[in-house]
Amino acid sequence: MELSVDGRARRIDPDWQDESLLSVLREHLGLVGTRLGCGAGLCGACTVLVDGRPVRSCTAAVASVAGAAVETIEGLADAAGGLHPVQRAWLAEAVPQCGYCQSGQIVSAVALLRRTPRPTAAEVDAAMDGNLCRCGTQHRIRAAVARAAGAAAGDAGGTHP
Amino acid sequence: MNRRRFLLAGTSLGVGFTAGCTLPVIPKRPAPGPEAAVGWIEARGGGFVLHLPRVEMGQDISTALRQVACEELEVPASAVEVRAHTTDTIAPVAATVGSASVADYAVPLARACATLREALAAGRTAGSLGAADRPIETLRLLRRDARHVGRSPASEAMKAIVTGGALYAGDVRRPGTLYGRVLRAPASPELDSGPRTWDPEAAARTRGFVALVEHPHLRIGRAHGLGLVARTPGALDACERALAVDWHVAGGFDEGALDAATDIDARLARGALAETVAGEGAALDAEGPAAGRGWDVNLRVDVPIAAHGAIEPRSAVAEVDAAGRLHVWAGTQDAFYVRDVLTRRLDLDARDVEVHAMRVGGGFGGKAVCTVELEAALLARAARAPVKVQWTRTQELRHGYHRPASSHRVRASVEGGALGELWHAFAGGNVLLTNAVLPGWLQVATSVIGDRGVSRGAVPPYRAARRRVEFDVVRLPVLSGPWRGLGAGPNAFAIESAIDECARVAGVDPVRFRIDAAESPRLRRVVERAAADAGWPDRSTPDAATGAAADGAAADPGTRRGRGVACGVYKGDSFAAVVASVAVAADGSLALLSLHCAHDCGRVINPDRVRAQCEGNLVWGIGMVLTDGLAITDGAVVATDRAPSPRLSAVPPLHVSLVEDVGTAPAGAGETAIVAAAGAIANAIRDATGVRVARLPVDPRAALALPARAS
Repeated sequence: MELSVDGRARRIDPDWQDESLLSVLREHLGLVGTRLGCGAGLCGACTVLVDGRPVRSCTAAVASVAGAAVETIEGLADAAGGLHPVQRAWLAEAVPQCGYCQSGQIVSAVALLRRTPRPTAAEVDAAMDGNLCRCGTQHRIRAAVARAAGAAAGDAGGTHP
Repeated sequence: MNRRRFLLAGTSLGVGFTAGCTLPVIPKRPAPGPEAAVGWIEARGGGFVLHLPRVEMGQDISTALRQVACEELEVPASAVEVRAHTTDTIAPVAATVGSASVADYAVPLARACATLREALAAGRTAGSLGAADRPIETLRLLRRDARHVGRSPASEAMKAIVTGGALYAGDVRRPGTLYGRVLRAPASPELDSGPRTWDPEAAARTRGFVALVEHPHLRIGRAHGLGLVARTPGALDACERALAVDWHVAGGFDEGALDAATDIDARLARGALAETVAGEGAALDAEGPAAGRGWDVNLRVDVPIAAHGAIEPRSAVAEVDAAGRLHVWAGTQDAFYVRDVLTRRLDLDARDVEVHAMRVGGGFGGKAVCTVELEAALLARAARAPVKVQWTRTQELRHGYHRPASSHRVRASVEGGALGELWHAFAGGNVLLTNAVLPGWLQVATSVIGDRGVSRGAVPPYRAARRRVEFDVVRLPVLSGPWRGLGAGPNAFAIESAIDECARVAGVDPVRFRIDAAESPRLRRVVERAAADAGWPDRSTPDAATGAAADGAAADPGTRRGRGVACGVYKGDSFAAVVASVAVAADGSLALLSLHCAHDCGRVINPDRVRAQCEGNLVWGIGMVLTDGLAITDGAVVATDRAPSPRLSAVPPLHVSLVEDVGTAPAGAGETAIVAAAGAIANAIRDATGVRVARLPVDPRAALALPARAS
């Protein structure tokens, strides 16, 4: 079985072909940036993109995405290490606290903004409601999504006050 | 018999456990002094290494303590490398709890750095130093012209977070890692339980199976477990199904058992409660402050058990190295306690164990005792390979410890527009002397000295003619333990709900009432600031940033708007006030429109991270009111699909103002606003609807809908 992960073809060992996509990414391929949260598709920490759509990798069988293009948090920066605009927005708003949910938050935001470059508040809520954050960074997630969408006032730069 | 399948066969489960093998009681470790702090900072190769004495779990303590070190050493941030600690690299420190990381560690670190700076200036380049207890006013961190302290520099960890770096215990990868899980009965660990029968052959036939592990220490509370090791995480699930364990569970209970255990009125009917924290000896009359005159306010508030809800499950990786030394990488708030438990349980010397304190993916008090670390260690020793254990969501809910349930009765009289008598009586489950660690007999013994976690924040911060605060600590049939703010969240919620009713009785604006009654000028100041920021008392103007929710609400003729205020003091030295603004639609659905918070924790090391902590506490308050609670059936916490914590759409615009006296020593910020957030929201609901939230969490559609109009 082969999987395309962040633009690279990865061979999946037979012992791992019955696993979840999350287990394969983290434990077999060593891409630990995608986190295990609830393991039941409820918290969004394990969100990756499969052919551009956000998917909960903890409940997706790896066999179900064979041949598809998987994108993870590790693949968002460009080849030279330049951060994705969503990652830059996350740093500018200083969103993370413990950080555990943030890979999933960022990947969900990337999916939203590719689909809807200028989302309304309701569209942001709908796209991001499935990504839980117990530290309470929701307020800054909203600001970072707006910033990444180029809609933030004073988008010229600077850090959070 | 296949040796791999029964690595520790022969130990029977359920009977014959070694007597006297109780876990060590979490030791009380005093706040560190300058001597301890000397070991945290080191001059090396022209720069400095700061061995972080705290666990990083979202407070960004690495950045804050580096700011303190840079200030005192007079060096740029790039000169100080921050390293997480292991139990080898620093002397034992207390758990990372209680918002103490800045409050208890910044000043000792500053003193140690000042000593180091002077020694370097005097030409010393090697050896170790003793640190003098120099006066706080000589430290640079309190100076108004500080260059590092009082700013919000970029956080190194944040870039690693947004790029998906390896940071947490579960991210540790060791060659040949296996995966472990300890199966336990679907019951509260307060009930005796264990595996009765299981099918080892079926498990052994399952692909990826490695071993079953039986060991008396695979136990949490009274729940005896059965260890399982497999080659992949998915194989754990398959092997668990194949094992088809039949569990014995002794006894049971339902949700009513918790209500009955904590029911404050039943307890008061039996007389005074066991512990008194204010008004010693001043018994008040249950009938009222004077004959024939009842209480003006007589409010009952009940708070259920609730999960911490950290997104990271309990996680650990254990490995025995070639020299026989046990390494455990743990997402724990207390690496040294984990080491103590491991050495005790495994009969090892402290030198035989190194616990690596990894970044914690959400602590909130839930990762303060040793659970998954011991499981990983036992399974790794049995399997002779590195083993990773991450609890499932079901395990987190069913076998973890939770916020204890509590039941409060607040009675007050109002005389001449001010508080007359004020009486807060409550009963709640253990917080610090948790049954997650202590056996029942020892917990009974320690109840003599009280559990001060239960009573944190229980004394109202207001002047009254007479005050009494008393409580009972109850051993609940579920595991309870520390939760963000300990008792402060529920206690302040009860108090602030009652004070709001007092203001109504007095006919005084609730902001004015609090300002007049507050004991501390610092508390008065944050109330004034939050009210001014929120434009109190005006509730007609929708928050400019509110967007769709307010617009939608305004369009609905049945919508009721309300504003509420609450405030409080945390651990005596930090202060917060919150103003909440809500709109409640005719069908009861609730929209939070804004939360304004004013916060005073003395000298602020890193304003942006203090704001972030305030924001976190505001959202925590939303959770307390709207989501946090766990159902119980058949003697177990129900591990449902429901994910009880606030979603993005529930969080309104948050406004935080930091009130600061530069010359006041820094206090904590990680839990302070918890004392005001939930109360302010409930008081806003009361203002909008007339409904007093008396049991958390509130279901707005059930509780706040307008009666259907007859047609």
